This record gives sequence, structure tokens and C-alpha cells, in this order.
Amino acid sequence: MSNQIRPYKVAVTEEAISTLRSKLQAATLPDEVEFSDDWDQGTPRSEIARLAKHWADGFDWRAQEAEINRLPQFMTTVELDGFGQIDMHSVHQKSEKKGSIPLLFSHGWPGSFLEVGKIIPLLTRNADGLSFDVVAPSLPNFGFSGGSRQRGFGIAQYAEAMHKVMLSLGYNKYVTQGGDWGFKVTRFMGIQYPNHCLASHLNMILASEPDMVKHPKEYAQYNSVQQTATEKQFAERTAWFMQEGLGYNILQSTKPSTIGFALADSPVALLAWIYEKLHDWTDNYPWTDDEILTWVSIYQFSTAGPAANARIYYDIQNSAARPFSDQVLEYNDKVLLGLSYFPKDIHLPPLAWGKTLGPVVFEGVHESGGHFAAHERPDELAKDLRSMFGAQGGAASVAARFAGTKG
Amino acid sequence: MRRDASAVRRSDVSFVVNPKQPTDKVEMATEQRYNVAVPDEKIQELRDKLSTATFPDELVGAAWDYGSPLTDIKRLAKYWETGFDWRAQEERLNALPNYHRSIQIDEFPALDIHYLHQVSDTPDAIPLFFCHGWPGSYIEVTKMLKGLKESHNGVSFTVVAPSLPNFAWSEGVKVKGFGLKQYAETCHQLMKSLGYDKYVSQGGDWGFYITRAMGLLHPEAVMASHINMIRASAPTWTSHPYLALKHTFTPYSDRERKGMERSKWFMDEGQGYRLLQCTKPQTLGFSLHDSPIGLLAWLLEKLHDWTDNYPWTDDEVLTWVSIYYFSTAGPAASLRIYYESIHHTQNGISRDRTQQWIPKVKLGLCHSPKEITVVPSTWARTLGPVVYEDFKGKGGHFAAHEVPDEIVGDLRKMFGKDGPCYKITEPHAKL
Repeated sequence: MSNQIRPYKVAVTEEAISTLRSKLQAATLPDEVEFSDDWDQGTPRSEIARLAKHWADGFDWRAQEAEINRLPQFMTTVELDGFGQIDMHSVHQKSEKKGSIPLLFSHGWPGSFLEVGKIIPLLTRNADGLSFDVVAPSLPNFGFSGGSRQRGFGIAQYAEAMHKVMLSLGYNKYVTQGGDWGFKVTRFMGIQYPNHCLASHLNMILASEPDMVKHPKEYAQYNSVQQTATEKQFAERTAWFMQEGLGYNILQSTKPSTIGFALADSPVALLAWIYEKLHDWTDNYPWTDDEILTWVSIYQFSTAGPAANARIYYDIQNSAARPFSDQVLEYNDKVLLGLSYFPKDIHLPPLAWGKTLGPVVFEGVHESGGHFAAHERPDELAKDLRSMFGAQGGAASVAARFAGTKG
Repeated sequence: MRRDASAVRRSDVSFVVNPKQPTDKVEMATEQRYNVAVPDEKIQELRDKLSTATFPDELVGAAWDYGSPLTDIKRLAKYWETGFDWRAQEERLNALPNYHRSIQIDEFPALDIHYLHQVSDTPDAIPLFFCHGWPGSYIEVTKMLKGLKESHNGVSFTVVAPSLPNFAWSEGVKVKGFGLKQYAETCHQLMKSLGYDKYVSQGGDWGFYITRAMGLLHPEAVMASHINMIRASAPTWTSHPYLALKHTFTPYSDRERKGMERSKWFMDEGQGYRLLQCTKPQTLGFSLHDSPIGLLAWLLEKLHDWTDNYPWTDDEVLTWVSIYYFSTAGPAASLRIYYESIHHTQNGISRDRTQQWIPKVKLGLCHSPKEITVVPSTWARTLGPVVYEDFKGKGGHFAAHEVPDEIVGDLRKMFGKDGPCYKITEPHAKL
């Protein structure tokens, strides 16, 4: 198995940058009407007009690229059963301390490996004898990883690719952190590789209502205890998302290729498609224009192209794929779990539901923060992880397994 | 009222009087001809965008499952850029009886509404309102125009087929709150302004919802409706005891079983566009406006998935899509009906309400096997007093375009001699 690890630096071609610029300069926007700037109906026209202009004239991709390249990155080729080879791009920051816990950070959509940027120093530094080696790949079809042109590249393949990145870096055992697609992918890693994936921390919790027979304790808890004020808030937020925010999800789960044409052809379309989520899914996060455009540029300049990433929805969540991928909602007793709830996330079940996923050894309910927890609330998320794996934490036993290793 | 002067050439106002109509029906209808005239710059803009289009990668072995395939879009885009002759299509469109007029409804600014108006000059003509949907347009009535004008079975039809507000050559709505009620009132006002106090309707897709809402709002005017997309729920014991009984004890026919599979397919695989357009039309609007291949892919998928192996020609497809691209309000505006119909329901005029019993308006049903929702007959009969029902051997969502003779035939049977709605628009009509 050839999995040579080579150092990598993001280096978008001049051609890609100038193509982007000329498309932006030629872009046309829908007519202005009274409600063009109403966030309820989607990304505001004036925001797109402003951002598109900045993206064409002022935004300095090379400067952002240099900033990104301060993160230590690698490329490794992994072989996937039945799907051939795929080049996996990854950030890899080791702690100075030997025997640190290897942590796989999995981004989601419309995020990227960049989401790990703020928490890397918080996790890799040695505090109270606890530190992590952080690995943050681009998922297949995202960022600077290769893509797959085969249909049916499903949850098992995403999990396999991420797992093999860890193996190729010498981490036979590891823990994971993830939200959005990071939830499903790391949960499936726990199913497929329980001897390797020892513990998982999750920040977007998908869980089913406790079944009376399968989860009697949680069923009793859920049905006998009054809904707390927090859980009421959770329910309102979730209801809002299901009613007003699910369109992109159902579309990409059924017809990703159809929307793919606009996303590949029009940067303005891509910008609107992604920026809407950066606004709606966060807790008043003060996005700068450069931040927004860097996030969107990663999609614009991605190796597999802007149309490929939507296919993760189809291949994992299409009605044909659900019976297989919904295993991630079932109890897995082999992987210790940490759950963190941020009130402006998009799906927030009652706390009892999360306990149907597996042995929950850490639970954190936060007062603020949204979907992109690592980017919005890096301190809180890092604290949650340190709590979970620290000496008094529920996953201390897992941390101890790495303490003696050479790192 | 903002209008792009270069896109509209109006001939002088002309007076049209139909001498064969009984005098208590005729009005001095001042009608202004409409001429489709897309500016050269707009056509050039389209060609420029197509010539610099960036295509996504090819997914192997996906056919149409993941959405519009790359090979089809690439081929059509190339032809659209280099071969497709919009001016020739425009000339054909201008051979139709195009008009436009200002329609104003309560609490909203006046809108310039484009419509086809084909007057039948036989003495047995009755007024027929044809309502298109999405991603269709007024041109869906085209193949039926000749047949509807001729007298058969003791009836012919005078046809009014508008472009809905926000579509094709009608003006776009610039204010919030223009929901299903407003679309229905606009259409009704159009008929009234043309002197048609009583009329019948034909429609599917939004044409279903709008003509049904018209029947709810104006039962004094909408005498009967023929619908080719049937949205209905199973009869309940409390609301339709007889139908519920029939539903419980009659096994589903082969047609009905196949229909439910088709409906399930649509529920499982076909909801994305609607949910997105109902919630974030503005986000999607940037895609459809800036990227012609984005627009082409968005619409082509429906033209393929929603029809019964209809042999679309490239010219047909591109004419349909070009109407969206060149539309007065732009393609993003056409999505707003979805958002507004969900978020602004007034006086109980909602999509859901139109899928329940509406009294008085006589109903004719066309069940097409490849429609996107195919319901059992007992379900369909919960919609209202059904006086005509036919089960087609072929045809899909765009019935008037796919099987025009079938729809014309339905209308002749429904409204002709010995039909359940003979002379229905006459004041003393008996049923």
C-alpha cells in the first residue's frame, strides 16, 4: 500500500484566480425588489453585490493562502476498497509532548479543514499533562483532497478514507471530534473501526427518540422529566431549521448534480449558497468579508471542483442510502462519547436522546455558539475536550492509553 | 411602473369587438398588442456567458439519478450558444395572439400582465382560462389553440392564457405578500376586464392551485374547472363518509397502484426544488440568474423527470428555458410564488385549502400516469363536485403540451352537448 506522506502547501493556480475574477466581473444579479435584502428569503442582494465586488477587486487570495500555509499540511494517497486511490489532504499538527492523544478533526459542509485553525494551539499545548496531536483532513470531494467520480461513494468510503489518513500518519489508535458531516463520518468510523476509534466527541447531535424497549432509562428520563427552558429553546431552533432551513439538504440529498452546474459555473451562485449558512447557522458570529471569501474560495478552488461536495448528501442521505448510513443513530457501546450542545446549532434534540447513541461520558450544554463550534467557540470546545479526556474526565482511560506511547 | 422600453414594442391601441357574441356579454375591449422583442444585448450576454461557462465534473454511471447529466447539459449549452436561433422562435411566439394590460388588485400596485387571447367566433364559444405553472409558461397552451377555436360537439372555446406575474412577459412583483390569493385575484381580474363574468378554467401545477383558489374566491364566476394535476388526500370518515367507505373496501386498481409508486418516487426523490424554492428563493435566484447552464440544468431536470417519455427537441427545451432567461422579471422572480404561497396565506387561501373540498365549481379530472403525484380516484373526488373524469394511457405533468388532443377532447366532452357542463357559462345553464 503506497501511502507516502508528502508535505503540502496550498497553491492555487494563477489561471484559477484570474478565471474567478473575470467571472465575478461579468456576473449579473437578479433585479432589486423591496425584499431583496430580506435574510428570510435567502442571501441578501446587497450583501452579494458587496462581497462579489470585494472578491474581484480587493480580496487577496495569495495573502489568505499564505496564512493557510502556516498550518502544517500533508498529502497522502490512500487505497479504498472498491474505489481505487484517493489523495487525501490534511493538516497535521503534533504537540510537543510525546504521548499526546491523536485527534482526528472532521469538518462538514459548508466548512473545511480550516475550521480547526483556532483550536489547534489550544489542543496541542501541554496543559495539566494533557495534549493532543491534531489531524484535520479535507474530506474526499472537499478542499484539497481528491474526489471520486464513482457513484455510491458512501459513508463507508468517507470513514475509510479518514481512518486511513490516521493510519498513514502512524496513528493506529485515535479519538475523533466532529460536527455536521463530521458527526456521521466519525460515528461510522466508530462502527467500522472500534479497535482504532476509541472515543468520539460530537458537536452537532443527531439522535432518535429513545425507544422504550431499547433504551428504557432514557425513555423514562425523556418522558417523566419536564422539558427544561433550554430544551424548549432547542426544540424551537430545531423546528425553525426543519421548516425554513432544510431545502439545501433535501436538494443535495436527491439532485446534487442539478445544482452543481450553477455552483461550478457562477462564483456568485456559490457565494450565495454558502454564505447563507454562515449567517443562518451561527450565533451572531462577526464574519469579516475576508473570512467569508476565504471559506468560499476553498470551495471555488477545491481540487474536486465546487459541484462534487454536494454528492456526499446523496450518497449518504438519499432514501436508498439511509438504511445503511442510519446505523450511526444506533447505540454503539464500543466508543466513549462526548456531546456538546451549542444553542444556535441547527439540530438540537432533547438531552435524553443523545444518550441513545452510546456511553456518554461527557455532556456540555453551552450558553452561546452555533454550528461551526470550533470556529465560533474554540475556547469552549477545547475546554470540553480537555474536560472529557482530562484526569477527572469520563474518557481519562482512553487518554491513558496514549500516555506511554512514543507519539 | 418600471418597464424596459426596449423590450416591449406596442402597436397602437386597437379596439376589438366580436360581432358574433351576444351583446350582453360584449364589452368594448381595448386591447393592446404585445410583441416579444428581446434586446440584442441580452442575447449577446447569454452567448457570452455560455462561451465562458465552466462545467462540473462527470459522475460515472449516474444517468439522471443525481440530477441533470453533464453530457446533456454540455450538448444543449453548445447548441444554445452557437446554433439555437432565438429570433426565429421569437417570430413564432409573435404569431400567437399576444396582448398585455394593466391589472390592479386590492392593496397591491398595478402589474402589466401579458396574455394570449384567442377569440373563437362560433356562436357556441365559451370563455376558457388557461393557467400555466412552473417551470412552464403560457406557451403550454399553444398546441391546443387550433382545436379549441373550432366548434366540436356543440362547443368551442375563447382562450385567455396569461403569463403569471413574475413569469415570462408579465411584470414582476416588487413588494412582499403576493401570495396565492393575489395570483388568483389577478387572473380573475384579467378575465373580468376582458368582459368574461363567467368562465371555465384549465390548469395543472400552479394552474391547479390558482384556478382552485379562483373557484374559492369567485364561485360566481368560475363555473367549472378542468385540472390535470390532482393533489388530494385520502377521504376521511368525518369529511367524506361515502368516499371513505368506498376507499376502504375497494382495492386499488393497477393504475392506482402504479400511480402510488410514482407518487412515492416524487416524495422520495423530487421534493428538493420545492422545499428550497419555498424557503430560500433568493439564494437559489443568484444561480438561475447568473448562470445559464445553471438555469438550464434546473429546468431540464423537470422537463425530463416529469414527462412521459416526451420527445423534447433541443429547440423546444431551449425555447422553454430561454423564456425564463429572457423573462421581464428575470428567472429568480419565478421562484417567489413558492415562498409567498407558504408564508403569506390570507383568508384561508392556501395550497392546503385548495386540496380540500371546494363547493359549487364543477370539476373535471384528468389522471395522467406520469404526473408527479398520482392519486386514487376516491382521493380525487374529495376535491369537489366531480362531473367528469378520465384516466389517460399516457402523459405527464405538462399534459396540454404532451397530450394536447387529450385535454381538448376532455374539454369538448365536459362542455359539449350531452356533457355535464353544457352551456355552463350561460345565465340560465342547466346541469
